[in-house]
Amino acid sequence: MAAMAPSCREIRRSILKASRASGNGHIPTSFSVVEMLCAVYETMKHDPANPKWPERDMFILSKGHSALGFYAVLAHYGYFKTEELNTFGAFQSRLGCHPDRFKVPGAEASTGSLGHGIAMAVGVALAFRMQNSPRRVFTLIGDGESNEGSVWESLMVATHLQLSNLTILLDYNRSQVRSLPIPNPAERFASFGCDTVEVNGHDLEALKKALAKTSVAPKAIIAHTVKGCGCPTLTANMFEWHRKSPNPEQFELLMKELEAA
Amino acid sequence: MRKQFRDTVMDLAGQDDKVVVILGDISHFLFNPFQDKYPTRFYNMGICENALISITAGLSSQGFFPFVHTITPFITERSLEQIKLDMCYNQFGGNIVSTGASFDYAWDGATHHCYTDLAILRLIPHIEVLQPGSRKELDTLIRSQYRNGRTTYFRLSENPHNIDVPVQFGKASILKDAGAKLTVMTAGPILGNVFEACKDLPVNLVYFNTIKPIDKEVIARYRHTKILVIQDAHGLHEAICEVPELSVTCHGLPDQFCVWYGKLDDIRKMVGLDPAGIRKLVQSKLSA
Repeated sequence: MAAMAPSCREIRRSILKASRASGNGHIPTSFSVVEMLCAVYETMKHDPANPKWPERDMFILSKGHSALGFYAVLAHYGYFKTEELNTFGAFQSRLGCHPDRFKVPGAEASTGSLGHGIAMAVGVALAFRMQNSPRRVFTLIGDGESNEGSVWESLMVATHLQLSNLTILLDYNRSQVRSLPIPNPAERFASFGCDTVEVNGHDLEALKKALAKTSVAPKAIIAHTVKGCGCPTLTANMFEWHRKSPNPEQFELLMKELEAA
Repeated sequence: MRKQFRDTVMDLAGQDDKVVVILGDISHFLFNPFQDKYPTRFYNMGICENALISITAGLSSQGFFPFVHTITPFITERSLEQIKLDMCYNQFGGNIVSTGASFDYAWDGATHHCYTDLAILRLIPHIEVLQPGSRKELDTLIRSQYRNGRTTYFRLSENPHNIDVPVQFGKASILKDAGAKLTVMTAGPILGNVFEACKDLPVNLVYFNTIKPIDKEVIARYRHTKILVIQDAHGLHEAICEVPELSVTCHGLPDQFCVWYGKLDDIRKMVGLDPAGIRKLVQSKLSA
């Protein structure tokens, strides 16, 4: 297990604080995507001061319920102030439990219903190719989301069109062990024609290396992750904590566990 | 109508390099000339309607004006959530063009019939719902709407009417104003049967090519009359009823699946949407 990067620990602190302050949030899934999101934002071309910069690469959070983690990462990279995270889910907040592209600086698509973001990302990647643009598209999906047929439809189209400017990150945190698991995801994505890499999804450097690797086909990064990574209480009880805000005592416990991780 | 769709889009593609065609493995032979002329703007993406709509949204997000096209129930009922969220909620607009209206594919049975598309889609914000009844209507409406940034649904029929009516997006046409106490309102290809049934009857006749936005001004003009909606798909009646203080009845489809085959005319006759059935109904309304 790679040591947790200080920046990723800080982002997790922000997630816990925002969940505590707001009384809402999917903490375990947000914790499982922190390193992936950081690796993407340290790899792709983007400008937090100008979120609509025409030459930027694009990231679409297909598993929209990781929004709190996404917002914490956007705040970390300067899209808005970290304090705004504490408004999460409030009536007039910009930061809903699933991202709204009209409200959140840096959110390229409004997502939440599973299996949509990846297909929109395929359309964006095709558009960039038609424009002869060097821009790249990144999308993050979940293993639960991979129960959706539209994920596999998207892969078929993307690989058929050889959209090498598309990178799919799979948050393989095994949340679907309770219902419809996706065993051997690397084999599955490779069999659909993706250039597939498996990495430790909490190893920032390994993720960045995988993202930098060139490909002639759509790239699938199978990121082995732990739901709730950083807090044993969350990882041991990921279903109980799927969508839950900590009470004061639980908050203190989780913060302590995070410092020790 | 499909040929007109191809011809209109071919023409537009020659003037507008943002026009893109996405097919769900239907009409591919028809679109061979488009593919030959604009190979980088033509994609037959296969039978994956959910992804097709989302991919269309993605293309739209980058400034293209996509036309996504396949069989009506598959592109509307099956992909409703993708239309609602990816195109309309995200406001990544584009053109959804279906083929096989109501019972056009009569012989294919209930799996290929579609009569809910207009009624369902009109409930979604940020969408335009069009039911053109003729080639001319389709051509005019595509040209006026295809690049307005909104999601526009064009419902093609294999059985257009052959009546020449004025065409303007969002505007109903008053085909006959006899100062009558009964006003027949209809939309799309069934106008052919309605027109024939009512040609010598003392009724007003109003025709719609746009279900959303519905022309409330023209509807309200007939508030003082009894209104009879004749439709071969759900949608028009519900839209008309949004205008307050009307006296409306509807002659349309029974609440049952159509489990017969044959031809469109067979089904229309069975549900009373053939000229004789419509005439009989209108006459009964007139004598009531």
